[in-house]
Amino acid sequence: MSGIEKNRFERDTWIRKTRRISTQGQVLVKTGDLVKPETVVAKGTVVNPDVRKVIIYGQLDIDPDEVERYMLKEEGDEVKKDEVIAIHRSFFGRSTRVCRSPVDGSIMSFSKSSGSVLIRGMPIAVEVKAHVPGKVVETIPGEGAVVECKGTLIRGRFGVGGERVGELVIAVARRDESLTEELITNELKGKIIVGGSTVTIDALRRAASLGVNGIVVGGIDQKDLTDFLGYEIGLGVTGKEETGLTVITTEGFGAHSIEEETFHLLKSYEGKQASIDGSTQIRTRMLRPEVIIPS
Amino acid sequence: MDPKGRNEPYLIVDIDDSLTKAVLIDRIGGDYKIMGISEAPTTVDPPTLDVTVGVEKAANDLSQKTGKHTWEDKRPSRAQRLLCSSNTGGGLYMMVAGVTGMISAESAQRAALGAGALLIDVFSFSDPRPDFEMIETMRSMNPDMFLLAGGIDGGAVNQVLEMAHLIAAADVKPRFGAQFQLPTIFAGNIEARKRVLDILSGKKYAVQAVDNVRPAIERENLGPAKEAIYDSFRQHVIIHSPGYERLASWVDEPLVPSQAAIGNILYSYSMERKANLLAVDVGGTTTDIYSVYNGVFNRSLNADIGLTYGISNIMKMAGVEKIMRWIPKEMGEREVRNIIGNMMVLQPASLTPDEVLVQQAAAREAIRLAVENHKWIASRLKGVKTVRTIADIFGQTLEPTYLDLMKTRVIIGRGKIFTQNQISEAAIVLLDALQPEGVTEMMADKLDVMPHLGMLLKTNPDAAKQILLREGLSRLATCVAFRGRSTIGQVTMKVRMIRSDGATSEYEVRFGELKTIALGGGEKATLEVTPRRGLDLGMGRGRTLETEVIGGELGLILDARGRPLNVPARKDILVMWKNSLTMKQQSSP
Repeated sequence: MSGIEKNRFERDTWIRKTRRISTQGQVLVKTGDLVKPETVVAKGTVVNPDVRKVIIYGQLDIDPDEVERYMLKEEGDEVKKDEVIAIHRSFFGRSTRVCRSPVDGSIMSFSKSSGSVLIRGMPIAVEVKAHVPGKVVETIPGEGAVVECKGTLIRGRFGVGGERVGELVIAVARRDESLTEELITNELKGKIIVGGSTVTIDALRRAASLGVNGIVVGGIDQKDLTDFLGYEIGLGVTGKEETGLTVITTEGFGAHSIEEETFHLLKSYEGKQASIDGSTQIRTRMLRPEVIIPS
Repeated sequence: MDPKGRNEPYLIVDIDDSLTKAVLIDRIGGDYKIMGISEAPTTVDPPTLDVTVGVEKAANDLSQKTGKHTWEDKRPSRAQRLLCSSNTGGGLYMMVAGVTGMISAESAQRAALGAGALLIDVFSFSDPRPDFEMIETMRSMNPDMFLLAGGIDGGAVNQVLEMAHLIAAADVKPRFGAQFQLPTIFAGNIEARKRVLDILSGKKYAVQAVDNVRPAIERENLGPAKEAIYDSFRQHVIIHSPGYERLASWVDEPLVPSQAAIGNILYSYSMERKANLLAVDVGGTTTDIYSVYNGVFNRSLNADIGLTYGISNIMKMAGVEKIMRWIPKEMGEREVRNIIGNMMVLQPASLTPDEVLVQQAAAREAIRLAVENHKWIASRLKGVKTVRTIADIFGQTLEPTYLDLMKTRVIIGRGKIFTQNQISEAAIVLLDALQPEGVTEMMADKLDVMPHLGMLLKTNPDAAKQILLREGLSRLATCVAFRGRSTIGQVTMKVRMIRSDGATSEYEVRFGELKTIALGGGEKATLEVTPRRGLDLGMGRGRTLETEVIGGELGLILDARGRPLNVPARKDILVMWKNSLTMKQQSSP
């Protein structure tokens, strides 16, 4: 069907997952450690994207090139919200103008030419979990670790939503059956549901409101997915959707029965814990969504 | 060059993400000819991780086809000259910044696009985004290169220094690894040069300064910036791709981005013909538009608008209904959406008939979107005060863009949509998407050798031009179309055609019709066309056009569907239009 297809699944294989944070931080595991999906492997902080430009000369009512004289803070200094960062007293102290920081953060840069500073918000904490149960076989200094587990890996073709873990439940009798709203029962909260050929928009909405962790189906109607997300997917780069659940299609868009062998494989793992990830990057890294069922 | 002083043959290779395409060109008698073309998968990615493996495979394949030894001693044969262009890694990813969006940033964009870059963002102080958002955007993307412009020479320096501070604060990481310095070119106010270098050099930027892209408000100087981009491309960017260092040591001319080579050959062709030209290159991921109007070259690029990976983005930007209006059969919205989604996700090697229809419909919208974008790039320098007379105002001579289909003699299609479908399908996509007016020659890069000929142009311009005319460009048809609209069924054009043998034939074309008249490729004829009152063929409303036309594979197309073209709701009319391109007309009363 496609020239870009890898093997659809690998049964009882050794799976290595590289778990790393996007910055230099602290690795909390060591080689040989046994980890659970929820074990935090590494944590750190990333630069806050919230950068505010504060035009000081305007607030102090002076010329830009005079600002340096009235600065109370230097590049790199931490500041609190509303803390005074520059002050100008005139008329023997009778008139005082101050400039305050709009956020908690630090002075990123000071420009003499424009009499302004850039203040960046406090760093944001990030962490990465193991996602699969297994053994740490390698650590990446300052960034994370490689976790190895034995299990079955099933590759999908397109997905939305990120990493989630839950018990695998087969909600349909046949692989060509549609996953409808009636099939999403209260007991499926927190589970990963395997549907058949497609999932209806009503079923998606019910699953999201109920707290289902993920849905694995053959296909999904592109219009239903668009309606569910609330926006049109332009590029094949997904994984950060805030939909409340992860959806993985094994065949693509439209109603397509899950490929027979894949369906039977999923069925054989009913009741097992599965780690899923809907992240898809078609162009660059050829990242496809995956379902991992540890042995 | 061999001992006899000959340069030939030429082994010319263009490398993109998926294919490495080699072309062997030699001189037979006094004529240059393509001796063979071969392709091999590109081998930059794992497991091979060496671009030269794909080059060798393509060259060896050429050797088998042509009997010429193109490879010996584990390198290209020294008996030929090796030229190479490259577009691997999705192309040259650039960010540009200027002080004013409409002035310096726009000139910087033109320089980057003209050098073949894939522009991922443009920053300026007229940007509505706050500074922190610009910084975050800069650091969230990993370009190959940054081009900073701003300020005219001798003008104010504060704002360009501010922009340099923003870039420094963003600490932009290059695509090929955080351990490298990001190649950064400063092409702004010469007075700010030293301070900009001071601001950026201490950070993770490999900065070089070149002449200002906008030394004066009314003057643009893109050459030095483009050359610096090429230099950085060779020194910093492709050298990080596996095997390129070795490839660079083999080539007889420096490597350039493929899009730059295409731009060069198109510009040369336009100059040679003294004709305005508009070319569309619809790929899987991007859609490029090249134009040359009155000697001014422009290229624009719509990244992520394409017919495989980029097809969902066409739907997102144009709307599904805009795509559906071009499909010549009834098809439900869900079906169309699912086909588009699967073309993005699966990138199928072969298409079903319905997929072909959807792809061709999407191609029209891709081109329409890209041309709209191109109008903004292909414009006179903004910010320049122009003295306007009353006549100018009423004559509307101050149109914002150079792009004028009535003044476009040649349109060219590149990409599989124009080469892998029937000629009539390629032609109708071009006609519908571009809606040419007046007399327009329609062509396609049938052999997909424009990057190769663009590379050859510098070394042997005669050979490049000769091959382009004889083998590279395939003439689809010449189209005659009027600007304006009429009533269905009314005669809109009376046509008299005198062939080179003196045979004369006459035709009438009614509004809404598309007629094709047999006129062989390269065959010339004299045409007299009188449009109905109110309709314009470029001579003024209702005035007769007399011109010489050249035939093509489809002959001469008389397009009386009107401009702007209204897409009919009836699908049978779309089918009729498509079919009429393959039905040659005899003289009509």
